[in-house]
Order: sequence, then C-alpha cells, then structure tokens
Amino acid sequence: MAPGKQTVLSEALNRLWIQFLPQMEERVRALESAGAALAAGTLTVDQRSEAHAAAHKLAGVLGTFDLTRGTILAREAEILYATEPETDAETAARLTSIAAQLRVIVASRR
Amino acid sequence: MAHRILIIDDEDDIREVAALSLETVAGWEVATACCGTQGLARAIEFQPDAILLDVMMPGMDGPSTFRELRKNPATERIPVLLLTAKVQSTDQRRFADLGVDAVLFKPFDPLTLSKQIAGVLGWK
Repeated sequence: MAPGKQTVLSEALNRLWIQFLPQMEERVRALESAGAALAAGTLTVDQRSEAHAAAHKLAGVLGTFDLTRGTILAREAEILYATEPETDAETAARLTSIAAQLRVIVASRR
Repeated sequence: MAHRILIIDDEDDIREVAALSLETVAGWEVATACCGTQGLARAIEFQPDAILLDVMMPGMDGPSTFRELRKNPATERIPVLLLTAKVQSTDQRRFADLGVDAVLFKPFDPLTLSKQIAGVLGWK
C-alpha cells in the first residue's frame, strides 16, 4: 500500500479510537464491576452476562487498534465468564487482574 | 476494480473501522447495516459483490440472516463472509457447516482486510 494511504488510514483509525474510547472504557468498567462483585461474592447473572458480552466485544476490537495484548486478555475473560458458573477465589482474582490490565492498555493508546 | 461490500454488524466501532479500511485501502464502495433485518433490506437495494456478516447480533443473528439471504432470489447468490470473534473449534465447525463462503476472525487487521476478502473470493 502506498505510504500516503497508510498515513491516511492510520490517522483515521486514531480519530475512530478517540470517537469510540468512551465505549471501550464502559466495557472495561463492566469488567471491573463484575470482578469486584465476584470477589465480594455478589455477582448476579445479569452482571456475569454483561461482563461476558463486554469481554467478547473488547476481544474483537482491541487488536484492530493494534492492542493485541488487550484482545488476548479480553478473550481469556470471555472464556472464564462463559465457562465458570461457580467461580473460585483464584479465578475471581484473575478476572480482577485482567480488568485492571485492560484499563491500562486502553489508557495507553493515544 | 471498485467492489461493493455490505457490512452487517451491530457494533458501531467494528462497522466503522471495517468500512474505513475497505474504502481507504482498497477504494471499495461500502454500505453498512446495524442488524440482520436492516442488512437484508440493504442487500436487496445495494446489491453488493459480497457481504461481511457479524455472527453475534441481537435479534436476528448472523446465521439466521445468512439463511434469509439465501432464501431470497435477490440475494441468494451474493457471497457471504462471516465475521466472528469466536475462535473455539466447535464454533468454527458450526459456522463452516452453514455453507458461507468464508469465515474471517476478529480482530482483523485494517491494513489487510481487503486483501483477505479478495483472497478468499478469488478477486484479482
């Protein structure tokens, strides 16, 4: 691809990132809330479902914005929320950690 | 050649990045729809060369939308590429069994998405 086109694409992607940053942050917030609820033993079915959907969406989009590590972490959270109906303390800690790492990754892109 | 692509995806960020990518990198003409129902109507009026169809959508999901596209004489021959963030092998087999032309995975690379599509559809 011509360097000019690559620059145009890159700049447009940066604009889209800024446009969609609030919804990326909202998805991370859903994961943080679910992680905190898990740790407290108060996670509801709706919260789990919301966290699963948020993780799925982040997994699908972060890599598109060159945040490959974010996709890997979000995919791990998606699988854990889908397959662990009775979550132990270790899994809860892992999901909390993933949410915190995603927060940093999303904030790191400018 | 400027191909015409219809993107059907409920996630606006994915829809916009894919459209931007195909328009900017390949110079293709892109139409979008945010759900299966809207996608069926857009497919009939826009008559794309191919449809990029998300799997997980509220209401009519990707597989249901695909079946409706195949039932309608106005859209039955349009190649359909499923776009999914599901990577588990059971999901992949299920999607392949639907009879779609290809399955592409999220996240995609905006730099190479058009090449991927052209490659699987045998476009020069």
